[in-house]
Formats: sequence, structure tokens, C-alpha cells
Amino acid sequence: MAYTELHARSAFSFLRGGSDPDALGRAAGHCHLPALALCDRNGVYGAVRLHMAAKEHGFRALVGCELVMEDDTVVPVIVATKDGYHGLCELLTTAHLRSAKGEGRVRWSELAVANGGLIALTGDEEGPVRHAWLRRGANAADAAGQKLMRIFGPDRLCVELQRHLLLDEEEQNDFLIDWARMNGLPLVATNGVTHATPRARNVADIFTCVRAHTTLDKAGRRLARNGERHVKGHAAMAALFSDLPEAITNTERIAERIAFTIDQLGYQFPDFDRVPHGQTQIEYLRRMTYFGAQQRYGSIVGDVESQLQRELALIDKLGFSGYFLIVWDLCAFARESGIMVQGRGSAANSAVCYALGITAVDPVGRKLLFERFLSEGRTDWPDIDLDLPSGDDRERVIQHVYERYGRRGAAMTANVISLRGKSTMREVGKAFGLPEDVLDRFSSLFHSGDYPQTVETKQQLKAAGFTDDARLEVLLDTCQQVYALPRHLGQHSGGMVLSAGNLSRFVPLENASMPGRSVLQWDKTDCEDLGLVKIDLLGLGMVAALQDAAKICAARKEPVDFARIPTDDPAVFKMMQEADTVGCFQIESRAQMATLPRMRPQTFYDVAIQVAIIRPGPIQGDAVNPYLERRNGRQPVTYPDERTRPILERTLGVVLFQEQILRIAMDLGGFSAAEADELRRAIGFTRSDERLNRMKDKLAVAMSRNGVSAEASAYILKSLASFALYGFPESHALSFALIAYASAWMKVHRPAAFYVGIINNMPMGFYSVASLIQDGKRHGLRFLPPCIERSDEDSRVDSTDTIRLGLKTVRGLRQKTIRDAVATRQKAPFHSLEDFLQRTRFNPTERRALALIGALNGLSAHRRAALWRVEAQDVDDELFRGVPIENEMSLSPLEMMTHIERLRADYSSLGFTVGAHPMALARPYLPDALPAETLKTTRAGARVKIAGSVACRQRPGTAKGFVFVTLEDETGTANAIIRPQLFERERLVINLEPALVITGRLQNEQGVIHVMAEEIAGLPTLGLPEQASHNYH
Amino acid sequence: MNFAVLFAPDFALQAVRRADPELRGKPVALVLGEGRKAVVAQASAEAREVTPGLAVTLAFARCPGLVVRPRDPGAEAEATRLLLAAAFTLSPRVEHTDDGWCTIDLQGTDAARSADQLRACVVELAAAGVAVRAGAAATPLLAYYAAQRAQPVCVVQDAKEFLQPLPLDVAEPTTTHAEILRGWGIATLGQLTALPKDEIGKRLGTEGVRLWERAAGEATRVLRLVEAEKTFMAEWEYEPPIESMEPLLFRLRRFAECVALELRGASVVAERLSLALRLEDDNEHRRDFRLPEPSANVEAWMRVFHAHLESVTTAARVVGVRLVALPARPPEKQDGLFETGLRDPALFWENLARVGAIVGDDCVGTPVVLDTWRPDAITLEKPAETVPPPEDDPVHPPRGLTLRRLRPPWPARVECAAERPTAIDSDLVCDTIRECIGPFRLGGQWWKPQDAWCVEVWQAETTSGAIYQLARTRAGWCVEGVLD
Repeated sequence: MAYTELHARSAFSFLRGGSDPDALGRAAGHCHLPALALCDRNGVYGAVRLHMAAKEHGFRALVGCELVMEDDTVVPVIVATKDGYHGLCELLTTAHLRSAKGEGRVRWSELAVANGGLIALTGDEEGPVRHAWLRRGANAADAAGQKLMRIFGPDRLCVELQRHLLLDEEEQNDFLIDWARMNGLPLVATNGVTHATPRARNVADIFTCVRAHTTLDKAGRRLARNGERHVKGHAAMAALFSDLPEAITNTERIAERIAFTIDQLGYQFPDFDRVPHGQTQIEYLRRMTYFGAQQRYGSIVGDVESQLQRELALIDKLGFSGYFLIVWDLCAFARESGIMVQGRGSAANSAVCYALGITAVDPVGRKLLFERFLSEGRTDWPDIDLDLPSGDDRERVIQHVYERYGRRGAAMTANVISLRGKSTMREVGKAFGLPEDVLDRFSSLFHSGDYPQTVETKQQLKAAGFTDDARLEVLLDTCQQVYALPRHLGQHSGGMVLSAGNLSRFVPLENASMPGRSVLQWDKTDCEDLGLVKIDLLGLGMVAALQDAAKICAARKEPVDFARIPTDDPAVFKMMQEADTVGCFQIESRAQMATLPRMRPQTFYDVAIQVAIIRPGPIQGDAVNPYLERRNGRQPVTYPDERTRPILERTLGVVLFQEQILRIAMDLGGFSAAEADELRRAIGFTRSDERLNRMKDKLAVAMSRNGVSAEASAYILKSLASFALYGFPESHALSFALIAYASAWMKVHRPAAFYVGIINNMPMGFYSVASLIQDGKRHGLRFLPPCIERSDEDSRVDSTDTIRLGLKTVRGLRQKTIRDAVATRQKAPFHSLEDFLQRTRFNPTERRALALIGALNGLSAHRRAALWRVEAQDVDDELFRGVPIENEMSLSPLEMMTHIERLRADYSSLGFTVGAHPMALARPYLPDALPAETLKTTRAGARVKIAGSVACRQRPGTAKGFVFVTLEDETGTANAIIRPQLFERERLVINLEPALVITGRLQNEQGVIHVMAEEIAGLPTLGLPEQASHNYH
Repeated sequence: MNFAVLFAPDFALQAVRRADPELRGKPVALVLGEGRKAVVAQASAEAREVTPGLAVTLAFARCPGLVVRPRDPGAEAEATRLLLAAAFTLSPRVEHTDDGWCTIDLQGTDAARSADQLRACVVELAAAGVAVRAGAAATPLLAYYAAQRAQPVCVVQDAKEFLQPLPLDVAEPTTTHAEILRGWGIATLGQLTALPKDEIGKRLGTEGVRLWERAAGEATRVLRLVEAEKTFMAEWEYEPPIESMEPLLFRLRRFAECVALELRGASVVAERLSLALRLEDDNEHRRDFRLPEPSANVEAWMRVFHAHLESVTTAARVVGVRLVALPARPPEKQDGLFETGLRDPALFWENLARVGAIVGDDCVGTPVVLDTWRPDAITLEKPAETVPPPEDDPVHPPRGLTLRRLRPPWPARVECAAERPTAIDSDLVCDTIRECIGPFRLGGQWWKPQDAWCVEVWQAETTSGAIYQLARTRAGWCVEGVLD
């Protein structure tokens, strides 16, 4: 009988395993193991991944778990039946939900009840038996074993033997063998696997150090003695246990008793439970769909009717009616609660979603590909993502889901936080004993962006001060091994999984770090692989901003209905064409602004293209320039294959959207809907390239068979590969374009409400409040500073062109104190500073901040007069407490603040000023620096100097190491391009100085202006306040 | 003027630079904190644009050739000693107020002469590598303020006129008070004292009133006097050891400057000088110099040292240097007054040192098992002076045969069949193997390629019945021990 590994831990035991499940799967396949049980610590985190790997490598993935008990011993259990699995998930959920994150412990009393369908091993050195034997001797070990016997009985308890080629392990094994024989228990050999291959022992050692907060040099005997705890095949294990052949044969006997694999979960999405009596779900869905369609389209005829019928038939056939109704119900809850909601992503391809009000894009009118959303061959559930306002409103919807489906009926999807470039070097470097300053310097030199590093890691390490050549290679090799392994579990930004019945029966739930949230142990791909249905409730700052702005407009009797704003407004397109888009959703970044004057959007669809085109996918696929050149008539419109004309006509022969790739695959490659869906999943699969490569090969063969030329095929395959780097589906681009257009419309027609909406929802977008205010001022708005007599908590619109900033923009003020003060003022205005001090509960620091920024100016002569008075309130000194204060208005001996003093005070307590930009003060010291606004009229090719606060630093992955810096001055923004070599030379100056002076040649291409940097220096000595910047996001 | 202050700005940085001649002329910054939180505490004038409080990473960006150093307590102690020695030449009543700051009570001295002496003292200290500013005034605090503003000597005649323009920081407000006063636009002591003292009290409390008084020069206090150093001895450990005369002479000059000042402060001179060089091989090169004429003249001493050292060649590198000056009037000594009578420990250490001299110091000590899985990895530690209590009996007493380790192990040639040893051939044993168990594998230090190790162990019974422990490493086979 062949050996089966019954006890393996992966890196999902978080710092207790050195290989991921894929690597364990590869090793198991390589060793021809018939099965391998993954027993991660307190969870089934890696079960799905091992299951997928097992399918690929031809072995059976058994589900197990190491249960950490209340006495800190560890009991490995293997799931034998589906009921056993459900019980295990509930057991783990109970342990996790009552504990802080990562500290769950199972109680013996709970295990005594919930152990059906589980087979237990006595465990390794942390197991109850060996743990007791090592510390308290044979009698204690016997007692610990008897406890396990009482729980699992002789049929479901195995005595685990491990041999790792160590001199002293036989004494323990001798005891275990005797004890097993005495109690009639089977012996099973395991290798207690902690890493896939001998080489990965290094990783296990590193993780030991990380766990123990020590270095390799100091870890001593906490490190592994050798590298034997790797996956071994039958021959190796049989040789080790040649004296105990039954220990090997028993492993397979146990494996044979195991009927359960993770794909037999029995998970079901909940039914919609509010269907009117006498109707089925599909009937109700049809009714609501037609009702909605009637309102959307006016009449349901022609394409609309046939599309709805087609979709509803498919939804019924696939059994997804309940799903649509539940999402519709969620949207209804949001709308009834005054929360803006809009579906995004492929759901926008569905007329049913549009009719139900889940999405806002008409897929019929825009001829969107429904198969991108749902097709007959699809095995998985459709994906509906809902955009909600970020912050409290989104949380209300999430909490509504918990209330509706129960604390154990819904949970957030996990997000596995993996070790990446910087974090890998930090953890490994610490274990290697690298000084903190070297690691810090490395972090400063290393960029975590999605672009290739322009300097080798080795050189970066040397530059950081690590000069030990002998250890360098080992360090780098270890980093490579550790890279991408899971470090801990986070929560997905919005994915929630629902289940009929308790979700905790199908996957263990844990507390998230965020109060009131629970998270399940699998990420979105795992959920998708097992058919768990996720609804994404995503928070968008701009949705929150637009929602707030709409409320402001309604209150000012200028209501805005985003569903009805004209989508062909010339003023909006003019603003876009001039790249005047600071604050506008998706089209405000430097790269977007650099494209807008070339793109010159003229229709709503152009906005969708604009949103989609500045993405790594189209950029890498060399789609951007050809599209823009063709659009501007400088290049003829051609098609890779004439058969692609109907598909690519709208994008001038260039592949810009995922749907186009899928349609090409179907039309030119003869892919079925199911195959197209498989292709879609391969494009979105980020863990490895293998799936995509397989699909590419398949498509290449199919296209060749269908007579597609080699050249056309190469172009299509390149486009396909580039979409794996992140490209938009057309439906998604259209959904985003709606928000982008709405934000631009607001900026043009309701600028005050637009800026207030954004400022009240900061942080969001690319720009700081300081930049937004400067931009608003350039658009004729007047910003009034926070004022205790006039401001509310939030900023508000006082008149068409006047904004009163809210008290919450003042740093360090507590929300409750602000609310109390505003409420107090609403009862009766403050009639003096004395009155304000008596009736509010601001602490000294808050009072000082208010006085410093001039928020108390209405109650005192000037900022300093207010400062003088507020300090005398509640002085914290026995000797002076209660001493009477004279009338502050007449007695303040302090002088008024100067302009620069007010500016500094504003930046220190607000982060911005409503007055002049700081650069206006620096201007006299920089006579040769050109103001940003003059660059438009400066000759291209001229050598110019620009200076300003850094508003933005970017290094896109598609830019081959080039860095883009945006400087802001009192007249606007100026963009500079920095070559990789110059960036490497001046990296610290560029990254750390808050204000820069850049000299270089001016470039002006079709109205897109850049300075190609030649010299860069900091602007540190002028004493200007620092401005927040948007860096490398 | 009743008080004087000698104040060395950026004292910690000065101390570091004074101790290391290689830092001369280079941009140097002293850093506080570690890792990401490390900031520049003090920076030399050469480090342009580098200011205190700046993150070290940004400091590097602004000054690429910057040398950063942490504080050096040894160097600071040495510089403090020099500063105090200089202060004691002005008056016997000296307070070591803070790092780089001593206050001298000049009451009863001739004011004019004291001012001249103060100037001379500043020059002398500068020559010895410590740049100080000196202030003299009616109160210790005022003298300190004067020293802070001095270029390099400032004698305050009119306190009010002197204080008015001084920046507020001079009076050392608390962080909170500094922030409040900055908000008020108060930048100088004069601006602060222009505000009514009682109104300050109402706003900033008692501490605020104290600040106001400090700003007005009203605060006075009693000095906490220190005793002058009278060992007339200085020593230094080199890390790494030195091989040339230049750093040695540099250090001796530093010693001489300090000891000479101390001698002068005590109104004595050196009659003899004793120079000892400790060598890397643990030998000591020692030489006593009887000065032709007792003196505290640094240059005269340096000539003597230079002449001698030019002819000296040591067998090993110098790891330490000590200079002792024997004053012309040595203090009385009461032999035996402090004898402890604990002669045995001393004898023990002496004997141990003698053993060490024969077998080598690295072969003397108490063996302690190292925290590693490497077999037979031990180190020798200094024997404990107390005997530790016996450990509890182990839960599982050792079983089976005992291994007698061979130190060092015996190299062997081992024949194998099917990857198992079948015969041993070594100077200890030459026999065929009847039975063996193994392999047992251990390995470690993979992160240090030069020290990485792995060993495969076998326990083998020869036909003669003896059982040996064999080990195979990268160097080959060996017999590690005998099991009996």
C-alpha cells in the first residue's frame, strides 16, 4: 500500500509553514503521493488551493486542520465526512469569533461534542501526548492520550510517529509504539511536513525567527535541526519505517476511510425570501424586471424585449433568480436609506440589471455583450459589484447584510496579505540581522509599484549599506523563496459571501480587525473556485461626494438627478478637452490629463474610452497611440482581420475592452460561450500565468485553423496578454464613465457643491484639499475659512460661488466636540469669546487650533488676541486657577500675525490655506522659475525652470522606469518627466523633498505640456509650509 | 561678574570628532534614534543643509558625503574631563551642569584677571579639540545665556540690555509653552518679558512664570559642585587595534592635554610619566619617563613620547594605551587600609591567568554548550564566581550507551555499500562494520555560506564489538567518539 501524507502544514499556518499549497501540491505530485492532508493551524485557509493543485497534479487533497487547544497543545484532525467538515468549520468559527484575531483556542469540552466525522492524530511535539511526555513523563502522556481516546474512541484516533533522522527521536517513538499497542490504536507514520522541498527549510527557519522576533544568529535551537520535514514519497517513508511497515500501510487505510473532499461542500446561495405568496422567484423577478424596464425604456419592444426574454430564460435555466432578487433587494434598501448605489462591472451588460435599477448603463442601446456577464456554459455565478458611497453609508449596507442573513450567514471575503518586495526584505533582512537603518534605507530605495525595478535588488541592497558579499546571494535567494507567501489574512475591500443557512458550516469565520465585521478564511478566487457567491459592496469616495453634492443642490433648490443629466453637454466636454479635470472621477490623474487634450472627448462613449484607455492593459498592448492617431486622422483605421470589423469598429480597429477579446475569441476562434468564459476567468486570474498561457495556446490554434493570419493572430494574442495586466470590460468602463461624467458635469454646473462634496469626503482622489481649493479658486470660487460662528461640522455652500469650510477640516478637533459646539450655537449664537469658552467643551489644544487658524476671529480682534484669551481658560495650575481675567478685547498685548505667519498657521492646523498659494511668497526668491500657467505660451524646446510644492509623484509600471512629478504653484500645476537614470541619482531628493525646483526642456505635444527634467533640487530653505502629496498610487 | 560658564555647542558631536582624527574636515552628523525614526541630532558646519531634526534619509539626500555617527559615551566622557579640568584652572568651585556645560563660581576672584583667564581657557580648549564659548555674568543662568551667545567670550555688564534680543529658545521653554508662545508671535526674551508676568501666570501657570523669570535673568540657584579629577591618568582602548604611530601620538596628545590641565588645576606638575601600550598578543610595552624637569607642558611631554616611540617596534598591534603622570607632590598613601582580605579569588584569577599564559587564554574557562544544534559546539566562558544550584532531575534520564567524544575527532576513511558504512580505517580503529544505524542528519547556519555546516552521523558496531560514532561532513569522514 502506498504512503499517504496525513499531516502537512502550509504557509497558511502563518509563519509555521514554509511553502504554499501549490508548492506542496507540486511536491506531492512529484513524489506520486496518492493523497495529502493539509492540516493548517486553526483553519482550512489553504484547502481550496491544495484541492486545485491536487486536481492538476493527480492526487487527492484531504482536508485537515491543526486545532490549537485551550492548553496550547495542538491536535491534528482530518476530515472524513461532510458532516465532519461542517462540524469542524463551526468548531473553528466558535473558537475564532470569541477571540481576538489569531488567538482562537478550541475548548476540550467543545471538541468532545463536535468531533463526529473527524479522525485525530496524537500529533507531533506540540501534540497533547508528546507534549506531556516531554515535559511531565510517561504517566502524563498516557493521561493526555486517554483524553483523546475518550473523545475520538479507538476507531478515530491514530498514534502519529515521525522520523526526521534525529538521534533522540526514537525514545519518544518507543513510548508511542508501546502506548499504541497497549491501547489497541493504529500507528501512522507522518512526516509532519512544514515545507515542500528540502530547500524550503530556509523559509521555515526565517518564519521561526519572525515569529520569535529574533535573528537567525540568535534563534539557536528554535531553528530546525535539519531539512527533513519536506514532502517525501512512499519509498523514502517506507525506508524510514522499515521496522514498522504497518505505520505506512495504515496511512492509506485512513485515506481510504475519508470520503470528503472540499468540492463537496453542499453550499447554496440563499433564496430570496420575500417573494409574494403564490409566486416563484423567477415569476417575481420577471414581474419586477418588466416593471423596471417599462420605466426605463417606456415601451418593451424589439431588441429590448428579446434581450430581456433571453436573459430571463437563461437566469431561470441557471437558477440565478434568487441572486438577482437579493441584489435588487440590497439596492432597494440602499435607495430607501438615501444611499446612492450603482452596479458596475460586467453586470452592466445585463438588461435585467438595468431594468431592476442595479446598473445605470443601457446594455441594449450600447450593444454590450451579455455573455461577458452570463452565459449558458458558465459554471460559476455572475458577478455583480455595487458601488456605494465610501464610509458610513457603505457600512450601513454591510451591516444590513449581516442583520438580514445573520452573523454566521454572511461574511467578508478574505484578502491574503502576501509578502512583497519591501516586506519580504524587511522580514528576511531582520532575520538575517541586518541593521534597521540598512532596511530603512533599502525601503527608501525600493519602490513597491507595479513597474519593474530599474536597479537590481543586489545593487539596491549595496546602496542601502549591506556590503557582506558572502551573504548577499543567500539573502536574495531566501527573499525569492519567501516572496509571495502569505503573511496574514486581511479582508477584501467589499466582497461579501452569503449562504443559505450558516455560512460557518462551509468555511470557518473569524473576526476582522474592524469591529462588527467577520471574515471567512478564503479569498475571492477560492470562493469562486468552490462556487461560493460573492457580492461586492465597494466604497467609492466619488459616489459619496456626488451623493453629498446632490443633497446640497437639492437643499439649494437646484436639484440634480444624475440619471437625467444630459450626456452631451458641450461645456463638460470642453472642460475635459482642456484637461481641467482636477477632482473629476477617473480622469483627474496626471496620465489622464496628459491624454485628454489628445483624445478630445466629444461624446459620452468617448469618456468611457478615456477611462479605459489609460490602463496598463491598453498601454502595454500598444493600443493608446494607434487609437489616438486614428481618432485624430493621422493614421488609417485598419483591422487585424476583416472579420473583426464589427467588433472593433467602435474603437477604430484597436482592442480596448475585454468584451472585444471575448467576442474575437468566439467569432475568430470559434470559442463557445463557456470557453469564452473560461478565457475571461484566465484573464482575471492573478496568481499565475499558467491558465492564461493555456488559453492563449488554445486560441492561437483555433484562429490558425480558422484562417486568421499570423500577424493578426499575434496582435490579438498580444492584446489578450496585455489585458491580464489589467484592462477594463466595456461595461465597467461605461459604469465608471457615468460617474466620471457626472463629476465633470457637477464641476462645470454646480462647482461649489462639487468641491464641497469632495472636501467633505476626503481623503479621496489624487489631490489634497489644498490643491482642490487652489483649483476651485482658479474657477472663481471663494473659500471661506472655518469659523466657529458660521461653520458647520462639514463644509457647505453659502452661495453659488462661496464655500464655507467646515470645522472638521481643522486638524485635531474631536467630532463630538464639534457637533456639541454647533448644536450649542444653533440654540443661541456666541456673543463673545467668553461666551464661546463657557458654552463649549473644546480642550486647550482644540481651542488653540481654532484661535490659530482664525476660527475665533469673529469673537476677538485677531488670531493672536483670541490665542491670548483662550490660554487663560481653565489654566492647569493650582496657583492661578480661578484668577479673574479682564476683557480680552482691550487687553491683548500681542501683535497681529503677519501674512507668512497666518500661512504657516493655516498649514499647520488645516493643511491648506484659503489665501494665496505658498509659492506666491517664494516667487521673489525664484526670479528665473516660470509660473505653471506661463508654460502654455512658452516655446517648446526652451530650457525652463519650474518650482512648486510636489502634488503628485508617479512611476507607472508601463512607463519603463520614468517618473512623473506634478508641481503646484500659485498659478496651477506643471508636470515634469524624470528619466530613470536621473531618478536613481536623485531618488531621495525627489521622494523626500516636499517642494522641488526642476530645470529641463519644455515639451508641448498637441497641448500636452511637460518639462523633461535635467536638474532637480529641493526647495528646503524658504521655510514654506509642506503640502500633502499623492505618491506612487 | 560672579559666575562663568564654559559651554561647548554640539558637545556630543565635538566629542566624536575630537576622538576620531579621520572625521576632520568631513561633513558629520550625530544621529538619535534607530531605523526609520533616526534623526539628525547635531551636524557639523560642513554638512550643509543638514539640520537637527532632519530624517537621516533626507540628510543623506541633501549631503551625499555625510558621515553619520551615534553618540560616543567614551569620547564624551573624555571631552567632559578636559572641560572640567579647564574649569578647575579658573576656580576650585565648579559645577558640571550638563553635557558640554560647566558653571564656575568666580566669587572672590579678580574680575579683570578672570576675564583674561577665561579667554586663555577658551583658546587652550580649542587647541585641545573642544570649541567652547565662555560667558560671565552676575548669575549662573545669565552666564549661561552669555556663553550661548558668546563669540567666543561674552561678559555681561547690563543684564537687561543683553537679554532683550535673545531668542526665546535660550530660556528653554517646554514644548507646549514654546508652541503657545510661537503662536503668540513671541520670538525673543525681550518680547516675553514685555508681557505682564502675572498675565503669563494666568495663562501658562507656575512653569510659565519661571520661564518669564529666566527670560528676565532673575532666576538664580546654588551650584552643585564637583571634585576635581586627581588620578592624572588617562587610557584608551583601540577598536580596531592600531599599527602605526600616528593615531597613537594623536591619542597621547589628547591625554597630555587633559592630564596637564588636571595637574594645573591641582597646582602640581608631573615629575614622572608612565606610558603603557597594551598589545594584541596581551603583552604590554611599558616605559617610565623621568622628566628632566617636572612640568605640565604638553609639548615637552610630546617630545619625550615622540622620541621614544620612534625607536619602538612592537610584536603585535596596539590595543590600548595608558598614560599616568606622577605629580611632583604625590599624595600620602595608607597601605592596607582598604584591604579586603579576600585573597583566594585573586589568587584564583592570577593562577588562571598563568594557566592562560601557558595554554592560551582561549583554552581556559568553563565550557558552556552553545545554543545551536551543531554537535559538540561549546564555548569557554569566564568561570562563575558562585556555584549555581544543581538542576532538577531530567524528566527522561539519558538512556543507552554513553558517548565519549574524541576531541578533536579522528579523521577516518570509511567504506560504504548501498550508502551505508561497511568498514572504518583510522588511527583509532581499523575494522569492518557489523551493524550500523543512521544516518542522522543535522545542519545549520545556512545563512552564512562560509560557516554553513551539515553533518551525517552513524553509530557503527565493528566486528570487534566496539561501537563508534562516525560523522561525515564536507571535510570527509571522522570518528567522533566511542559509545560505551
